[in-house]
Amino acid sequence: MTDPHEATHSRPLPNPGWGPLSALPGNPLMWVLILSEMVVFAAFFGLFAWLRVGERDVFDSSQQLLDPVAGGINTMVLLTSGLFAALAVQAITQGKVRRCRQWLGAAFALGVVFCVVKVIEYADKLGQGLMPETNTFFTFYYLLTGFHFAHVLFGLGLIALVAWRISHDNVETAAAFWHMVDLIWILLYPIIYLLR
Amino acid sequence: MRAMQDAFRDDATRRLLITWAVMMGLTLITMLSARLGGDARLAALPLWSAGLLLATTLFKAHRVLMVYLGLADASPAWRGAFVGMTLATLVLVASGYMMARF
Repeated sequence: MTDPHEATHSRPLPNPGWGPLSALPGNPLMWVLILSEMVVFAAFFGLFAWLRVGERDVFDSSQQLLDPVAGGINTMVLLTSGLFAALAVQAITQGKVRRCRQWLGAAFALGVVFCVVKVIEYADKLGQGLMPETNTFFTFYYLLTGFHFAHVLFGLGLIALVAWRISHDNVETAAAFWHMVDLIWILLYPIIYLLR
Repeated sequence: MRAMQDAFRDDATRRLLITWAVMMGLTLITMLSARLGGDARLAALPLWSAGLLLATTLFKAHRVLMVYLGLADASPAWRGAFVGMTLATLVLVASGYMMARF
């Protein structure tokens, strides 16, 4: 029996046999993860925006204590790391395994830079006595950036793993996860650090 | 350096590099429009600046989805779902921002 999603698509599908997910490039399950992560973060961002309405002064004064330049630098670090991950996929598609490992290594190194900047930022905030229980803003600050940080650490592990067990599918899947981490930070940075 | 030169010869990778350069530029513009220096940092953003901030965020997220993640090759329904999800998130944030402000 022909899948209606496959029958209506004129170009060859990247993932035939995956039903509605057939038209997505790369590993379809990674897209399920990306969509679910986007929904979770959207809910948190929405809640953050909602609570800001009632505590605008607290949110504005707390936001002044963050370092938006460090956040901006980390945005550029992640964007560049994402570029390297995408170049790793291009390299493995062309069968250039050594080049792919080089790009993965570069993506990994910048991921570590992101973590170092974030840890310095956390240490600075904690040193000032700004804890998750300080106020609603800092609860969300630690919750959102901490949850994202955990994803970065997992992504670094994934990149290291696929650089070791290299294959086209593995590299593509790890790169997709890494781009999701990138995407979430692109949304998180202006909402937490800049919008006032 | 050699790897970067090789990459730039290829059309697909050139597209990646241009996307990256645009997103880096937009990040810098966003930081500048958010007035991070001096006393201006203590004041609320002008509306144009807040709008620019959210618009550039949407554009960057769109580029990551389409170019980095390769969603441009997916069906229009999936593209619409992911871009719609991103747009809905930012509309939610913008609504909260406007309610807090006025």
